[in-house]
Amino acid sequence: MSTPPTPVFSVRDLWKVFGPKAGRVPADPELGALDAAGLRERTGCTAAVRDVSFDVRKGEVFVVMGLSGSGKSTLVRCLTRLIEPTSGAISIDGEDVMSMDAGRLRELRRHRASMVFQHFGLLPHRSVLDNVAYGLEIQGVGRAERRARAAEFVTKVGLEGMESRRPGQLSGGQQQRVGLARALAVDPEVLLFDEPFSALDPLIRRDMQEEVVRLHREEGRTMVFITHDLSEALKIGDRIALMRDGRIVQLGTPEEIVGEPADEYVRDFVRDVPREQVMTVRTAMRPARASEAETGPALAPGATVFEAIEAVARTGETARVIEDGRCLGVVDHAALLGVVAGVPGGKAVAA
Amino acid sequence: MAAMTAAVTTPASDETPDKVPGTEKARDKAGRPATGRSFQDLMRHPVKGKLLVLAALAAVLVPLSAVVWGSGPWPGALSVDISGPLDDANTWVIDNRDSHPLFLYFLLHLSNTATDAVSGVYSVLDAMGWTGVFAAGVLFAWRAAGLGRGGVKVAATAFGAFAVCGLLGMWDATLLTIALMVVAVTCAALLGVLIGLAAGLSDRVDRLLRPVLDTMQVLPAFAYLLPFVLVFGTGTPAALFCTVIYAAPPMARLTTLGLRGADPAVLEAVTSLGASPWQRLRTARLPLARKQMLLGLNQTIMMALSMVVIAALVGAGGLGEEVYSALSTVDVGKALAAGIPIVLIAVWLDRTTAAAGDRIGRSTPGGGLLHGRSGWALAGGGVVAAVLLRFVAGTAWPEGWTFAISTPVNKAQVWITENLSSGIPVLGGTETWSEHFTLWVLNPMRDGLTALPWWAVLLLVAALAWLVGTWMTALTATLAMAAIGVLGVWTKSLDTLSQVLAALVVTLVLGVLAGIVCARAGRLERWLRPVLDAMQTMPQFVYLIPVVALFGVARVSAIVAAVVYALPAVVRITAQGLREVDPAALEASRSLGASTRQQLLRVQLPLARPALQLAVNQGVVLVLAVVVVGALVGGGALGYDVVKGLSRGEMGLGMTAGVAIVCLGLVLDRITQPARKRG
Repeated sequence: MSTPPTPVFSVRDLWKVFGPKAGRVPADPELGALDAAGLRERTGCTAAVRDVSFDVRKGEVFVVMGLSGSGKSTLVRCLTRLIEPTSGAISIDGEDVMSMDAGRLRELRRHRASMVFQHFGLLPHRSVLDNVAYGLEIQGVGRAERRARAAEFVTKVGLEGMESRRPGQLSGGQQQRVGLARALAVDPEVLLFDEPFSALDPLIRRDMQEEVVRLHREEGRTMVFITHDLSEALKIGDRIALMRDGRIVQLGTPEEIVGEPADEYVRDFVRDVPREQVMTVRTAMRPARASEAETGPALAPGATVFEAIEAVARTGETARVIEDGRCLGVVDHAALLGVVAGVPGGKAVAA
Repeated sequence: MAAMTAAVTTPASDETPDKVPGTEKARDKAGRPATGRSFQDLMRHPVKGKLLVLAALAAVLVPLSAVVWGSGPWPGALSVDISGPLDDANTWVIDNRDSHPLFLYFLLHLSNTATDAVSGVYSVLDAMGWTGVFAAGVLFAWRAAGLGRGGVKVAATAFGAFAVCGLLGMWDATLLTIALMVVAVTCAALLGVLIGLAAGLSDRVDRLLRPVLDTMQVLPAFAYLLPFVLVFGTGTPAALFCTVIYAAPPMARLTTLGLRGADPAVLEAVTSLGASPWQRLRTARLPLARKQMLLGLNQTIMMALSMVVIAALVGAGGLGEEVYSALSTVDVGKALAAGIPIVLIAVWLDRTTAAAGDRIGRSTPGGGLLHGRSGWALAGGGVVAAVLLRFVAGTAWPEGWTFAISTPVNKAQVWITENLSSGIPVLGGTETWSEHFTLWVLNPMRDGLTALPWWAVLLLVAALAWLVGTWMTALTATLAMAAIGVLGVWTKSLDTLSQVLAALVVTLVLGVLAGIVCARAGRLERWLRPVLDAMQTMPQFVYLIPVVALFGVARVSAIVAAVVYALPAVVRITAQGLREVDPAALEASRSLGASTRQQLLRVQLPLARPALQLAVNQGVVLVLAVVVVGALVGGGALGYDVVKGLSRGEMGLGMTAGVAIVCLGLVLDRITQPARKRG
């Protein structure tokens, strides 16, 4: 792979410790090594984010996933210093965030990163349109212009006709659409989502997830997405950082997380995931033997095992994995069943 | 009235959400040192533990004090007479009012501005003519309350209120009271908002101000009068300034509460979009606090009205003056003629501001002719038209359109005195009851209290305050009680205290029973609620009028007025507390087969304990406020000294009594205040 371009967010050795004299915890390796209960007993502090490093690449959906209390919400707030980190380095497009003064930080929040919240955070006394226009108002955009631009985004999230309603008159899903439109209206470089759909009904949640996937496909905007829902993470994430007790325990594509769990915790976590819907044929395939490369249904390497099973079952033949007209390998019954069963059967046969 | 509503809302301020999103783990910081088991056991039953300590202390202190000080009232050697220096100060102020630079360059300006402002507003009102003021009052109520059926109802209330004021021949006095109110409420609201902003935005200011505002809210209105008379002399300025100081705290408190209570999720979202602190305040915090601020304005208006009428004692003209002069000659008819307009103005102002507050949060979609600016313009046009009408109808209320109620009322009062006061078989009569109550309840209580050795009273106060609160509470209460002794008004204060206690017992027994009935019978509550609402809005002063008619000039009158005044708050808090008991707990007890009585005694009352404690506290504060005002109808004791000090210019006497009232208020508040939870 060639050298990647500058990441949108680059986070190094980030700590956030709550409590008295928080600064000594990251500084002292002995304290830093303690677990949550031990740290609390020794210092009265709680480490919400511990020594976290990662990069968010341009145009990707970076998901931070973990159970409640794992520090993920704190982490995303540290990115724009809504919560002041205790120590570490954050940069956006190579520019140091930690050294920004109040004015530059405001500029960052106004133009470069905007956020969608779990509890929406809409202003109850303003109409939908004025809520969407709020970010522009903060930037000092004139009334007529900001309302015109806001109207565009109200339409984009499917709320046309509701411009003059108050947030209190909308359903949860509609309110979150307003929150999304408000974040989009300022045309930020990165969208930060903090468990945006946790408070919504399952059906509406699915709609909204599809909405986000659609938006990402259309605009290719970089997104950082916080969730505690594994299926949501697998559905929309290009890469997932799995957090536990403030640390990232594994960072990888959905396929890597499900296919090669880093430890028992992750393995436990992903046990119930329908693997055939996450794993791709690229990992399941084996080299083609003899004439296998000539016949059989063709699949892209990114196709899921689920799709391959369908193709193989329909034709009764081994399926070929084709990229740029070249056959990379094939998948057969045994390999596909191996993936579903969670045993590396396919590879064992191949070897 | 307003003071209670203010205090009822107080507990909410203690649960200011201090949630920082994303710190789920940070919140449960323990870090408590492990302590001995016995101490933990003791802490688990704090009251029992304290009782044990108290018993031990009493066993030592009581005999010791008895030997050292003997018994009897506060010893003269331990008291300091401050009336001499106060009288000197008063004389100095009078002598130097025209020459000293402090007056020439500061206080005189204040005082002149106050007088000018009030007379300015009055002349504007006067120039508008009665039609103009009438139309302005009604249209303002209509517009502020929203233009639906609710608005029409409020406007009708305003119409009725003004019409009755005019019909009773009190138009001019009403105008003067309204003029005073306009200036006082404007100043109090501005002051309150400024203080509220400071306390809402700065934690340090909040910590400093909160105890001050808390204390100001429990002090009887009477105690505010004298310091201002000392500096400004009797007249409009003193009346105006004490009203402003008395009425500003609720505005300040509720502004603070509104600013601090704003949804943290909204504020975080606003910050995340890059809002500067000023933008955050203007576009989020202030609009989110609007409802609380309007509630504050409502309370400020009600408190200002109650003070404006009491301030008649220090030279404020208007309706209060009429009531005061009528009461001093026991002319019930005249007092009633002035009292009714006060009540009606209270109802008008309360309904209008409350309706305006209700409107916030409810959206008003659509435009139309009657909404927004055009609605105001329409109302303004109506007022202008009505003002122009004065050239036809004249500026003063038409002579012929008045109805003198004082003669029939006085006739009725004579009839009451003749027929109801005594000699009714079996029942007795109001005067007979009053005598019996005085003879069998009040006198023994007063004599009992005065007969207690002074140190025993102090120890009792300290013990009670410590039981309900912390050692700081006990210290404050004891020091305040000791201050009363030092001031040399021990006996009088105990007299007032006996009246307060008698009234309190009656209020609590009646109030809690009524509260329980209300909470259990929804229909009764629906029927009673408007009555309680109306009673809560009335100024303390007007309660004195009917009791004089029934009970004559006696201590019992003051007590009855106090009971009637404090009852609505106690009923309301009790009923609300009982109704807010967790329905799941009640359902569980019912499913176990508890009888109604068992439900009430075992589940509802224990769970409603915080509300009952609050009811006691409110009852004490309100009863004290009226018992001292009751001096005007024969209450005697401390309140009488204040009145005497004011009417004869004996500043020393009045001020001493005023300070003693403040101390008594502090003591009573501290020993009934439910302990605050520290979080």
